[in-house]
Amino acid sequence: MSLITPEQKAIQQQAKEFVAKHVIPFASQYDKSTEFHTYLLEAAKESKVFSMSIPKEYGGLGYDLITQALVLEEWGYGCGGMGTTLAVTMLPINSILLAGTPAQKKLFFDPLVEGGLASFCLTEPGAGSDAGAGKTTAVKVGDEYVLNGTKCFITNGAYASRYAVYASTDPSKGAKGLSGFIVEKGTPGLTVGTVDHKLGISSSNTVELLFKDVHIPASNLLGKEGDGMKLALMTLDRARPAIAALAVGIAQRALDECVKHLHTKFPGKMQPGQTLQFKLADMKTEIDAARQLLHHTMSLIESGIVSIESAECKTFAADIAMKITTQAVQLLGAYGYTSEVSKCMRDAKIMQIYEGTNQIQRLVISRAVLAPASAATAQKAGK
Amino acid sequence: MSYAFTEEQLLIKQNALEFAKEYLDPIAMELDHSAKFPAEIVKKMVAQDLLGLFLPGEYGGAEAGFVAFIEVIEALSGSSASVAAILLNHAIAAYAIEHWGTKEQKDNYLPALVKGEKLGALAIYENGPMLGVGPDTLVAEKKPEGYVLNGVKAFVRNAGVAGVYVVLATTDPTSNGKTLTAFLVDAKASGLKVGAAKESMGLRGCPMADLTFENVIVPESAVLGAVDGGLALATDTLAVFSLGEAAETVGIGQAAVEHAAAYSKTRVQFGKPISTLQAIQTLLAEVATDAHVARLALYDAAGLFEEGKPFQTEAAMVKAFLARFGSKMLLDTVQIEGGFGYSEFMPLPRLFRDIAGTTLLEAPAEYPDKTIAAALLA
Amino acid sequence: MPNLLVCYKWTLDERDIKINPNDLSLDSSRAKGKISDFDRMAIEEATQIVEKQGGAVDALSYGTPTVKQSLKDVLSRGPNKAYYIGDASAEHADANVIAKVLAGAVRKLGKYDVILLGEGSSDSFNQQTGARLAALLDLPVVTFVQEMTIEGDTVKATRKLADCTEAVTVKTPAVVQVLSTINKPRIPSMKQVLGASKKPNQELKIADLGLKAEDLVPKSTRKSVKGFVMSRKNVIYKESNAADNVAKLVASLAKEGLR
Repeated sequence: MSLITPEQKAIQQQAKEFVAKHVIPFASQYDKSTEFHTYLLEAAKESKVFSMSIPKEYGGLGYDLITQALVLEEWGYGCGGMGTTLAVTMLPINSILLAGTPAQKKLFFDPLVEGGLASFCLTEPGAGSDAGAGKTTAVKVGDEYVLNGTKCFITNGAYASRYAVYASTDPSKGAKGLSGFIVEKGTPGLTVGTVDHKLGISSSNTVELLFKDVHIPASNLLGKEGDGMKLALMTLDRARPAIAALAVGIAQRALDECVKHLHTKFPGKMQPGQTLQFKLADMKTEIDAARQLLHHTMSLIESGIVSIESAECKTFAADIAMKITTQAVQLLGAYGYTSEVSKCMRDAKIMQIYEGTNQIQRLVISRAVLAPASAATAQKAGK
Repeated sequence: MSYAFTEEQLLIKQNALEFAKEYLDPIAMELDHSAKFPAEIVKKMVAQDLLGLFLPGEYGGAEAGFVAFIEVIEALSGSSASVAAILLNHAIAAYAIEHWGTKEQKDNYLPALVKGEKLGALAIYENGPMLGVGPDTLVAEKKPEGYVLNGVKAFVRNAGVAGVYVVLATTDPTSNGKTLTAFLVDAKASGLKVGAAKESMGLRGCPMADLTFENVIVPESAVLGAVDGGLALATDTLAVFSLGEAAETVGIGQAAVEHAAAYSKTRVQFGKPISTLQAIQTLLAEVATDAHVARLALYDAAGLFEEGKPFQTEAAMVKAFLARFGSKMLLDTVQIEGGFGYSEFMPLPRLFRDIAGTTLLEAPAEYPDKTIAAALLA
Repeated sequence: MPNLLVCYKWTLDERDIKINPNDLSLDSSRAKGKISDFDRMAIEEATQIVEKQGGAVDALSYGTPTVKQSLKDVLSRGPNKAYYIGDASAEHADANVIAKVLAGAVRKLGKYDVILLGEGSSDSFNQQTGARLAALLDLPVVTFVQEMTIEGDTVKATRKLADCTEAVTVKTPAVVQVLSTINKPRIPSMKQVLGASKKPNQELKIADLGLKAEDLVPKSTRKSVKGFVMSRKNVIYKESNAADNVAKLVASLAKEGLR
């Protein structure tokens, strides 16, 4: 972590304190009850953390990407569910930053700066990994678009102030017919459907969103008609490292809980055998590697290079988080099975699935590896 | 060598699967949510002679053999690992009494255990680093009236519903866990308190709590096995128990891979069922293979045990294998089902949570690797 | 104290049979055997009657030599003794042959008050065996039975017909074909399974049944068995709103009479 500036470290410390005060003490309770953590929104409002990726000119904190990663890691450390609320609010912000006009940015960011949440609405029951297969339509009528359809697995859906919705303005073009839109909370016709109860991140709000003749101003179209799929993918590329940050936080938490438990088991004199020692060593190494890959990715994106590192860092971090949390539960035995560590294992699983499954990420990465340009480089290097 | 089941064993497996389908499938999800002890299901298991499955006929047992018992645990686990856990913990406690008990102890307890009038439970673990070493380790003090027990046993499955506990205590707290003795403690013993129900990640239909002993007096006749022979008893009992846990793991994993395979045929993305994708096929293949290999090793070890042959190394190998690949079976099948696999409206999350509990490693003794290595290096 | 005989068929478990999607041919290589479903109910019914009223239940089956695999299974379900004819002729036997063989066996085994069978077998479901058997033995037969009692020398049965039920009485000896709704067979307990090997079974040879050679020649031959693939209507509801699609689906189902 030698490349973290003192300013970044100070913000990280702030985030640690916030999480210690407002997240950690309540995480287990909300996980068990699966109630959404509305209390947190008040506390977060004051710190403006939900607007940390919104530029200062729009009232946000405008943190650089490494700082964002540091903060998100602390939130993942505190609770994967609460961390998801934050990370996924930041997801559609990327869409707006990429394609929004100044007026649209103001429209989307204003409530978030006041502490509001946002949702990213791409997934449908028939459009998961095949995101381009979405059937929600947006029909232009006069100076409005009318949206109809069903979105599912929408994080923050019941509480968001702003939604970035991807709908088809031309079903005959398939994925190329998708367009992105801003939808405001409370628009008539927009209703929250079933609430999903999940294996983990239980206090994160995950719902179905139903669009029945939802009228929005035509000026809410992001970019041009047909830009939607490209915008969604670019958005995810920029937002995916946030998930890596959560995963690193969860993994670190699991490791710390292991060590804490061992100190209790062997007060004063740590006596774990080599098997346990080696597993702890691997955990630490994997976490550090994931964190460095994440920070490297953030540096690249900060300098304008958005490439497969985004896929790599999320895949790697989620996979090691899953491995580490699973091992942690196993190693702590019955204690692990009845404590916070088991929540880490449940929370870690979704990291491998959402914002693009790790299988899809591998397809993207391997395509880049096998691309002709790579072959040329390999040849030049005399391999 | 392939494991050849007898006709009876095949019928027993078939019947157990039918029982699971008929009685466990409809209640498994609700049982997981409510964590309410399924007394009615236990009654039905009694009617099927499952509670005394491998116990001798003279105590009312079915004498079906340990392999048949493993089949039953495997079959039930595919539908409700919680119910399987209740049966497993009960049966292994009964085994400990049958194997290590005096005639008087067997006459006193086994008939009731077989009929399900009493359930059995194992009180072996503690909160400290090892057995007999810790802040609230269970100490048995020899007195004229017998033994007085003080301390806490932790994470006891079937706590509160059992009629008798097989309890491990130390008779000498200064010996650092070297002098352990097993006792049979009646649930109604004065001074024995069942703690608050512990919430675990899975196997939630099987009760779990700590047991607190406050000057619980047991007669000398309550000693199970030899005085100071507790470690040997625990090691043996846990080795047998681990085979049951392995059966739970294999049963859960098999159910998961079948569910994921069926799901993948119906889930269409990019115009085709995802079952046509090599990545999905690989995940399914790995899980199915791991379950198959584990199952073969399991029945090999179970067969050795049933025949009275040395089985501990083989049992340790099954445990070690499933420690590495057990949870993976659910990590991969949930992955196949994606967002839907993460939803508690579907069955896999419960299986995910259950299998994490049947592949735990922390033992009062050591990891299975030690047993296996010891056999190689002897 | 009725003396009961249950005739059962040992069939392949259709759940293990795979259908080749290309030519609809069947792959039964991994199929295990099972007692034909409705026959399970017949066995259960006979067992329950005898549990209540005393008496005895025998089981009888005619099949290929693999029928021996059925013995412990059937004996774990209540009958005291199992008779079997394991003969290659069963491979191509039609209902005519099956009934003749069973009739030959029954004549040899002695008098039963009631002979029970399932209404039809899991594999061919011809629904002929019981009626033919009764005719050969010159006995009355009651089919489609969903409820029955035996009182002395009288069988009282309720037949389930298309849109009504019919109450029937008949004097023993009689043949009864039972529906799957007559009872829910209990799952044999462990002790019942282990006790099966202690119960007697006896092989009957076809040569000893007093049959003529032509009795074993099937009058009908099975040309082929192919898998059945349900043809789908393939109606797709394409409204952009899921709620509208559901409404259309519900309306269409209601139109087809689904309530």
